[in-house]
Amino acid sequence: MIVPLTHVLILAGIIFVMGLACAIAWRNNLIMILIGIEIMLNAAMLAFVGGGAHWRLVDGQVFSLVIMALTSSEVSLALSMVVYLHRRKKTVSADEFSEMKG
Amino acid sequence: MKLYLSLILLLPLLGGIINALAGRFLPRKGSELLACGVIWGAFAASIFASLEYHGAARIDLMGWLSAFDFQAPVSLYIDPLSLVMIVMITFVCALIHTYSIAYMAHEEDYVRYFALLNLFVFAMLTLVLAENLPLLYLGWEGVGFCSYGLIGFWYNDEENATAGRKAFIVTRIGDTAFGIAIVWMFMLLGTVSITELNNLGSTLPMATVTGIGILLLIGAMGKSAQMPLMVWLPDAMAGPTPVSALIHAATMVTAGVYLLARMFPLISPSTTAMAAIAVTGGVTAFYAATCAMAQRDLKRALAYSTISQIGYMMLGVGAGAITAATFHLLVHAFFKALLFLGAGCVIAAMHHEQDIFKMGGLRKRLPLTYWPFLAGGACLAGLPLTGGFFSKDSILAAVWLKGGALYGGLYLLGLVTALLTSIYTFRMIYMVFGGDDSARKHCDSAHACKVPGLMEWALVPLALLGLFGGLLNLPSYLGGGWLNGFFSALPGGKEAEASHSLELTLQAIAGVLALAGLAIAHMRYGKAHRQERIAAAEGDAPGFVTFFQKGWRFDDLYRFLFIRPYEALSGFLWHQVDEGLIDGSLDRLASFLGRSGEGLGAWTSGKVSVYIISFAAGAALVMAYTAWFLL
Amino acid sequence: MEQIFFYILAAVVLIATLLAITERHAVHAIVYLATSFFALAGIFYLLGAPLIAVFEVIIYAGAIMVLFLFVIMMLDMGQPEKARGPSLKQWWPALLLGAIILGSMFTLFATTIPETLAGWSYTDAREFSRVLFRKYGVAVEVISLQLLFALVGALYLGRRKLP
Repeated sequence: MIVPLTHVLILAGIIFVMGLACAIAWRNNLIMILIGIEIMLNAAMLAFVGGGAHWRLVDGQVFSLVIMALTSSEVSLALSMVVYLHRRKKTVSADEFSEMKG
Repeated sequence: MKLYLSLILLLPLLGGIINALAGRFLPRKGSELLACGVIWGAFAASIFASLEYHGAARIDLMGWLSAFDFQAPVSLYIDPLSLVMIVMITFVCALIHTYSIAYMAHEEDYVRYFALLNLFVFAMLTLVLAENLPLLYLGWEGVGFCSYGLIGFWYNDEENATAGRKAFIVTRIGDTAFGIAIVWMFMLLGTVSITELNNLGSTLPMATVTGIGILLLIGAMGKSAQMPLMVWLPDAMAGPTPVSALIHAATMVTAGVYLLARMFPLISPSTTAMAAIAVTGGVTAFYAATCAMAQRDLKRALAYSTISQIGYMMLGVGAGAITAATFHLLVHAFFKALLFLGAGCVIAAMHHEQDIFKMGGLRKRLPLTYWPFLAGGACLAGLPLTGGFFSKDSILAAVWLKGGALYGGLYLLGLVTALLTSIYTFRMIYMVFGGDDSARKHCDSAHACKVPGLMEWALVPLALLGLFGGLLNLPSYLGGGWLNGFFSALPGGKEAEASHSLELTLQAIAGVLALAGLAIAHMRYGKAHRQERIAAAEGDAPGFVTFFQKGWRFDDLYRFLFIRPYEALSGFLWHQVDEGLIDGSLDRLASFLGRSGEGLGAWTSGKVSVYIISFAAGAALVMAYTAWFLL
Repeated sequence: MEQIFFYILAAVVLIATLLAITERHAVHAIVYLATSFFALAGIFYLLGAPLIAVFEVIIYAGAIMVLFLFVIMMLDMGQPEKARGPSLKQWWPALLLGAIILGSMFTLFATTIPETLAGWSYTDAREFSRVLFRKYGVAVEVISLQLLFALVGALYLGRRKLP
């Protein structure tokens, strides 16, 4: 492996934290939350691939592919929900939809 | 002897209990008859006991308190002092019970009255006959309680209830001192039996004896309404008049004097304690006499008179003359009960008007009340040859013979008080009975001013006893006193010997003063001047008269010194501590819990943003904990 | 040589992601993100996963980000010039929690990982698909089912009601 696994994991960690920060900071905007989730999932993929490369296994890459497939289905559903909600209240502010209160 | 003493105690007790429990079911006459009958029975038993008396004896009835080395059985002690006391108490109480039947004829709640009255007699007799201090204390407390119940008899009126409470609380101060003295004596000498205490008293150091003496004096002060604990007695006149006659003239208020006489061998070695007793008595006598001069209410005047006369008795005890003090106690019981019962007749006849400036002319309307009342007044003033004259003079003589500057001063104070006594007594008599029939406006055919015969006839025996009571203890130049001889075995019983001429001189001085008082009263309140006094009394009294009328404003002083800070403190404790601190802290705790619950509940706001942060925070927490754990 | 490429690409990823998350304009943010995904694909290739790198570009940057762009442009979200980014009040929990997690992660990474063979190896398609379809065959089936569900769900959620 070209770099120590620790470096790959550090990179993955920083990317993950950035995605988390995006999801928290933009917590009022549905779309930015989803983007933050995408970033986090990418970081996870990087960690898997790095681990697979370190231990010379293909399984890391397989799981990374699985994540990608799941992500795509999740994004399509999430975005269609965003469209639906926007049609209802003409806004993508997450705090508007608080009917689950209590 | 044992049988008679047991009967003396048991009869009133049974009467009280039966009346209390079953009095409602008995017919009225039956209940009254029971109440009076038991007291007459006790009187008969005391007569029999006195016939059978042959020396001081201790009679054990049954066991009572017993723990380790603390023994307080129900044992009675009969000696000359207690013997004369029980005869006097049962006789006067029996008369007053009989009088009460007529006085309370219109009262619905007579059962409670007679039950309390009987229980009172039981407690007083226990007090007098007790051989050990706890039993005496039992009687002491019993009379206090019955007095409270009877003063506040008409409790629906706020003032009466307050008067009862006041009496109870003020005497309680004295009772506390007495209780401390009992415990202290037990700690020092290991016994609470009176005879043993009196015998062992010489083993104690003088300072201790003085301390015990002062504590007992405070106890007596409370019960006998001496300064500074005398504020309850004038207010206690809120009770029915027979109660005033019984409790606050003849029996309960003399309990303090009796206690000091009983414990005399123990405390007499301490000259400080004796001086304190004498000073208390002398000053109180003077104080009460000045206050009685300014009273408008008939019963309050008699109350202050009682305080003054008991001051004389204390003065006698302080001078070491137990015989003189007891003599005065006996005669005072007779004539003071007489005066109160007479006042009751007058008040009943005047339809419960008690202001002497609104009475008059009763001499012709109520002759059967007038003559005994006059006799009682003469005894009180100490006109020569009445019983009161001899008894008061024996005390003054004992004080004079004690010698020294203090007792000399007290003697002079006693003389001044005697003059004042005479003045206020005849002021009372002139205002109530004198003058023409200005009471006419009260009495017409609709409500006639008459008195039931039973009430008036009860006055007669007391008048005779008062007038001729001097025979009990004639001075030595007339053949020596019977009481003196009877008491000679008691410590302090023997009177100081004085030459006949000295005795005659002292008696002459006292007699002259009494007659002078009569003359002054006649000049000021007799015939012509009476109307002027009534007219003058219509307006507001000048300042110094109000000062005396309010008892030298002691009530106001106590209110200022004690009651107001106490009320402020209790108000503070109520609002700030009880409501603010205790209730408030619980309220604040509860509201805090409520608010924190609401605050936590606000977490479920349904907003995604809150949930995102909560999720991230949870994840951060888990990761941090894992990192720390693995570190 | 490859190490330098790795670090350059890593820097590109980080900078692009940082710009993406702080950008007010949503479309700009997504473009930055696509850049970041490209660089990440390069990293995947360097780590011996060329297939995953290709998939990353095609699926992730090509399909998913485009889908985001479609949705953003479809929704009328007001003037993008007037859009306001999150204020400091919104940022500080993110920074705080991010710092905590980052710190914990670095602490955990501090435990040494035993080095295996050095050198660069490379997984070709044949080997990848062998493992995928033999060992993880059930996973493939499940994922395809899941994609079907997602399709149906997206269709349902996005339908317009008939008047």
